[in-house]
This record gives sequence, structure tokens and C-alpha cells, in this order.
Amino acid sequence: MTLKQELVRTQEMEINFGPHHPSTHGVFRAVFTLDGEYITKCVNHLGYLHRGIEKLAESRTYTQFIPYNGRLDYVSGMLNESAYVQAVEELMGIADQIPERAQYIRVIMCELQRIASHLVFWASMALDMGGFTPWTYGFRERDTVLDLFEMAAGNRMMPNYMRIGGVAADLNEEFMPALRKFLDIMPKALEEYHGILTGNEIFQARTIGVAPLSAETALDYGISGPIARASGIDYDMRRDEPYGIYDRFKFNVPVRKNGDTFDRYMVRLDEMAESVKILEQAYRDIPEGPVMAKVPKVIKPPAGEVFYRIEHSKGHFGFHIVSDGSNKPYRLRIYSPCFTNVAIFEEMAKGLHLQDAVVAFASLDIILGEIDR
Amino acid sequence: MDIFLVWVDIFRNWLTAGIGVPALAAEIFIKIILVLIVIVFVCCNLIVLVWLERKFSAFYAMRRGPNRLGPAGFFQFPVDIVKMLAKEDIIPKAADLPVFKTASICAFITAILAWAVIPLGKGLVLEDLNIGIFYFIAIGSTGTIAFIMAGFGSNNKYSLLGGMRTAAQMISYEIPMAFSLLGVVMLTGSLNLSDINDAQRNVWFVFPQILAFLCYFISSIAETNRAPLDLSEGEQELVAGYFLEYSGIRYSLFMVAEYAHLVAVSAIASIMFLGGWNPLFGLTFIPGFVWMMLKIYFMIFLFMWMRWTFPRVRIENLMHFGWKVLIPVSLLNIFLTSIGLYVFQAITG
Amino acid sequence: MYGTGLLKGLSITIRHFFEKKITQQYPEERPVLPKRFRGSFNLTPEKCTACGLCVKACPNDIISIDTFRDENNKRKLSKYRMNMASCLYCGFCVEACPQGALYTTQEFENTVYFRQDLDRVLYEYEPTAQENREEGSEA
Repeated sequence: MTLKQELVRTQEMEINFGPHHPSTHGVFRAVFTLDGEYITKCVNHLGYLHRGIEKLAESRTYTQFIPYNGRLDYVSGMLNESAYVQAVEELMGIADQIPERAQYIRVIMCELQRIASHLVFWASMALDMGGFTPWTYGFRERDTVLDLFEMAAGNRMMPNYMRIGGVAADLNEEFMPALRKFLDIMPKALEEYHGILTGNEIFQARTIGVAPLSAETALDYGISGPIARASGIDYDMRRDEPYGIYDRFKFNVPVRKNGDTFDRYMVRLDEMAESVKILEQAYRDIPEGPVMAKVPKVIKPPAGEVFYRIEHSKGHFGFHIVSDGSNKPYRLRIYSPCFTNVAIFEEMAKGLHLQDAVVAFASLDIILGEIDR
Repeated sequence: MDIFLVWVDIFRNWLTAGIGVPALAAEIFIKIILVLIVIVFVCCNLIVLVWLERKFSAFYAMRRGPNRLGPAGFFQFPVDIVKMLAKEDIIPKAADLPVFKTASICAFITAILAWAVIPLGKGLVLEDLNIGIFYFIAIGSTGTIAFIMAGFGSNNKYSLLGGMRTAAQMISYEIPMAFSLLGVVMLTGSLNLSDINDAQRNVWFVFPQILAFLCYFISSIAETNRAPLDLSEGEQELVAGYFLEYSGIRYSLFMVAEYAHLVAVSAIASIMFLGGWNPLFGLTFIPGFVWMMLKIYFMIFLFMWMRWTFPRVRIENLMHFGWKVLIPVSLLNIFLTSIGLYVFQAITG
Repeated sequence: MYGTGLLKGLSITIRHFFEKKITQQYPEERPVLPKRFRGSFNLTPEKCTACGLCVKACPNDIISIDTFRDENNKRKLSKYRMNMASCLYCGFCVEACPQGALYTTQEFENTVYFRQDLDRVLYEYEPTAQENREEGSEA
């Protein structure tokens, strides 16, 4: 041993990132092994928010399970609900009997929810970098969306609006003008978001080239949604495997090449603009008519199973429902995009600076309610 | 003659002539009172500053800020102080006790010490040192040690990382800060802050020394550990940085230190670059003290504007910017100033 | 040029600095809630037929009703309880009610000091002796 080695001993340090930590977006916990401030190893620990929702579903009827969807990914309740009800409709074989108007309402709600979810991402990404002011800018528009949900569904975050066979109630008359108002303010708001964060040189320095994710790794880990599209995987279920009435809408799928934090951020902002386009078309084309198909009061799908997934704001969100012919699901499994997406963090964090790891984590945009279920 | 100095003179006369206190004792007594007045002044500023910070941060975010207690929520912070005093002083079991306990006091003392040389008006200074700026820079660097002590003494990994970051950051940004002040010193030929202020009667140094002003502004953000250069606190990764384990009154001492430091760097900026207590547009009927405070608060407004707009800088970029941009630019400024001075002397002979 | 993005950000924040504030002064300024908002539940006892559909619709079994037979041997409601501690506020009970007796209100301040206060009794009626011929309760 040289004198220097004898006098100066270096040691790796283990540090807990969560479950009580300002930037873990809930109760996620990762254990970092730090060399100085660089991460050499990262281990994810999940399960702090486990409520056994999959098991709960087995003791609830098919209809009674709908409100629990809002508790999965609690910033995109409408998307979860629409995935669930479409899965049950598929299982019952009534997917083609859903009234036109209900289909349009579902698209409107889903796209609004996608915008709201991405706004939470945008705002919390800014917050994770120490930009406190953008937080309210993002939540200002999100609140408008939630007001729309409140108007139509009766609740802001746990809407319980989708029903098997349609939607709970028709839109009330003040909804459409309010939606028009939102569609008018949204492009301006997006411009402001780009102005305050995207164009900011400090922001660019912190995101461009940070934590790149190659398309191969993304595929290996089963990454889907905006993160995969940022890595260059040009796949969007709304366009490539259209469900519902998504084949009627014209929109682009934003795809980027580098897969770094900046690309993951930009894909989501571009997606918001595309969602506004879809909303414009839905606003223009929505027909009058009933909002509920003829479904029996007690829903008893035939014995069998179905796996149905949709393009959620976080990725592919699916339900695997096994029915034994009774009014309760025999088994219900939730395919959660956040669960697969967070797995990449162990790989991604290696070699990152502690500061960059926080931003890379924020760019994954996970919601613990869905991971732990 | 300023009204404050008249009062001090009357008081001194009363002490020596009125009750017959020896001259030296009277002088010491008056100095002690003046020191207390300065500390109270700094603390009063703190109350206003915390209120402003809360209000401004709210206004930038389209919120209203505190508005329950007193006019526009002004009494929120005094009540917070009472809360802080009443809080339990939690000391971690594994903490290095003497280091942990002295760290907060050290931070407070170094922040207050700088105020010994900062004049707020003509003659309104505790000690008009002829090496005033030198003293200010020297005291400013000792502040680093309190943060390292806090980070090390807490025996917490987050605090340790925060303390280390602070040390790296503050030491790197001392240098461009000192260099940027040098340009002004070259123009006046004096290290005395009152002399520098008097030299700006005709033109503020922010115009001939714009590069120096920008360098000073950026490095003083880093010096005071404020966003966007608040790597040491970085709550998103280090929770609270070096004062993570502190609570109650010890925590509030750190906050006092931070804001006292903020006012001090703003005061130095206004004396060195913004003409100190020289009036604007020849409005001499407004006292110099008021002008000085206006300029200090203008600087603070700029600091807050930056803080509530920008995200935090990456640490590599921060260090690179300090060593590769700010130091060369401030050196360039010294070079340009000396050429300018040489040319000026050659012309005027 | 490097720095334009920073200046743009500064211009955006300073514009909002002088703008009208968007937050609501809650206790003074009451939120205007839409009609469909599910804040809490209320019952019109005259309309209720004690059919128990709301009990069956509830995903969490929080509703319990007590019934009795009156002199015409008609099922009537004597007690309607909701355990708000485990309520999902999904509104299935309101949807299930065939008479429109149960309805949602915009009252959203549901905080209570004691846990037992969460067990909310929406209706209570003490049947007289001759009414109380048969007692039934459905949980």
C-alpha cells in the first residue's frame, strides 16, 4: 500500500432515495451506491403503496370495480377506466354496440386526461430541477381539465364516469363551451411552457444527453409509451392498433431519436399538442344520440378470458380478465406501464450524477399507485 | 451630517460631559450599542426579506402568498419566529455534538461580521476600514467553514454531500467575485467603501464596469447559495443539504445567515456599482440612506426574479462556468480597465 | 444566441408577476361546484321505499339500512346509515336508487374530529309499538 492509499481511504456510500424523499413522486424507494456523487449501483424497492386492488376486484362485481380504476394511476383516472370498461365490453362481445356519442365522449375524456397527466409530468419535472414557478403554470391548465371532469363526471381525480356499454351520463350543456375555451387556451399555454422551460439553457444543459436509452434496451425491458417513442420506437396503439374510434382521427405520433431526458420531455409536450388536435376533431364531429348501449343490469360475461390494452399516458395499459361466468371476475390482472418503465431506472441510474438521476427519474413519469396497485 | 450621527454625538457628549464617564469607556459603550443596532437592522431586513420572498414567489406563480396575518400577511414571519423558538431542538444521536452545535452559530457570526464595514450612508458605518472590500471578501470566505461544519457534524449522508458541494462552490466563486471587484478598486484607487461611493458622484461604475457587474452578480448568487445556484441545498436530491438535521432556533440561525449574507452582497453591489447613496437625477432632498436601501432592494428583486424563474444548474456546468468563464472574463475586465486607465492618463496627462 | 432562453423565461415570469392571481381565497370565496359534483350524500326519506338497491350497489358495503313493517304491512325505512370512512364517493348508490330518494350534494367539507362521526346517519325513525311488527335489517 502506498502512503496515499494508507492515509486516504475512499469508500462507497449507500444512500436511500426515498420512500421519504422530496422527488420520488410518492413512496418509491431506491438504494443508491454512491462513488462520490456518482451512482455505481441502484436497487429499486417497490410495494409501499400496495393495496391489493387486483384481489379486491375478485370480490367486486364488474360494475363495482370501475371506481377502483381511479385509484390505480391517480393522475389519469379516465384512461384507466376506459381501458377497463373496454376490456369488459370485449369480454362480453358488445364492443361494436357502443353508441357513437359515447365513443366520442370517451375519446374526449381520454385525450383530456392524457393532457392532464402530461401536465403533471411537466410541472413535476420542472419542480425536480428546482424550478418552483412552472409548477403552478402546469397545474393552472390541469385544473381547467379537472373542472371539465367535475362538470361531466362529478369528481376531479376519481371520475367514475365510464360504464360498461357507454358512459355514466351525457355531457351537460355547459361542457362543450368550456371545452372550446380550454382548446383555445391550450396552444398558448404550450407556447409558454416551451418558453419558460424548453428554451431555457440551464434546462437544456441538464437534460440533453442525460441518461440516454437505446431502442434495443427499451425493447428488452418492455418499455412502452412516450419513453419508448423518445428512443425511436415508432409505435402508438392509437394509430397502429386502433381501438375504439381512434382510426377516425388524424394525428401525428411524435417520435424522437436520442432517447435522452430531453427527448422524453419533448415527446410528451408534442403529444399534448397532438391531443389538442384530436380534441378539435372530436369537438367538431361529435354526434347527438344515446350514450349507453343496451346492457343487462347485472353484468355476467361468458366464461373466458380477455387481454385488452390501450395507449395510456404512460404506455400500454392493459387488463387481463378471466371470467368464470359469474358476476365477479375470477381473476383480474393489471398490466401496468409504470411498473415496466420503472425497471429501467436501475440500469439507467448507473454512472449518473445524483442530480441527474433525479431528473432522469422524473422523466420516467411514474405513478406509484399503479406500480404497487 | 446625517441625523443618526448627530444623535450619536449628542449621546457621547451626554455620557462624557453629563455623567462624567471616561472617554474610552464611553466610546466602547457606544460601539456596543451600535453593533446591537446593526444586528437589529439586519434582523429587521430579514423580516422584510422573508415576507418579500414569500410574496414574490407567489406573484411569479400567480398565487397570492401569505395574507392571513396582518396587512398582506406581513406578520406571518414574526409569528414563524415564535414558532421556531418554541420548537424542540432535535439533535441526532450520532451527531458530532460540538461541531454540530457551533456550526449554526458560526454561520450566523460570519454573516453578521461582514456588516462591520458596510456603510449605509455617509458615515453610517461601524468601522470605516481603509481595506473595507478586502475585509468583506475575507469574511465572506470564512462563511464556507460553517457550512462544512454543519454538513460534517450532522453525521448524515445528505448533509455531508451538501456541505461538500457548498465548499466546492463557494471557494470557486470567491475568486471571480474578488476579481470583479478589483476593476472598481483600480478605478478609484482605494479599498475604502466610502471613498468608492464618493468616486461615483458623476457616473456609476456599472457603466464602465458592466462586465465586472455581471460577474459579480452571478458569483454572488453562488456565494449566497440561492437558486439557480443553490446546489448545496438542492432539495430535490439532497432534501435540504447541509442543514437537513437542524431544527428550531438552530435552523433559523442558518436562515438569518443566508438572508444577512444576501443583504450584504446586495449592499456591496450597490456601493460598488450602483452609486451607493448618491442620489439619482439629483434628487438630493431624499436622504442618502433611503437611496441606499432602494438600491439594495432593487438588487434583491433581481436575485429573487432569478431564483423564481430558473431551474437549478447542473454541478459540472456550475464549476465549468465558474472556472472557465467567470474567472477569464473577470481577468479580462481587469486587463481592459488597466488599458483604459493608461489611455485616460496618457490623454489627460 | 446563448442566453435568449433565459431572458425569455424571465420575461414570462415578470409578465405573470403583475397578472391577476389565479388562486381562490377559499374560506371567503366559496367554490362554485357543478350540479353533478359528489361531495356528500343526502336522503329524502319520504321517497325511500327501503328496497336496498343502494346497499347492493355499493362496492365497499358502507350502507346499512334498518326497516320495519307498518300497519299496512309495507316495508318502511327506520334507519339509514353510511360509513363515510370507507366511502369511495363513486355515486353508484345514487345511480341505483329507482325512486331518486338518494342524491348527492355539493357539501364537500366532510372533515370530522372523531372517527365515530364518520358513521353518518342520514335518517332515523323510531317505529311505534304497533308499527314495529316485524323488524328487518340489511347490511
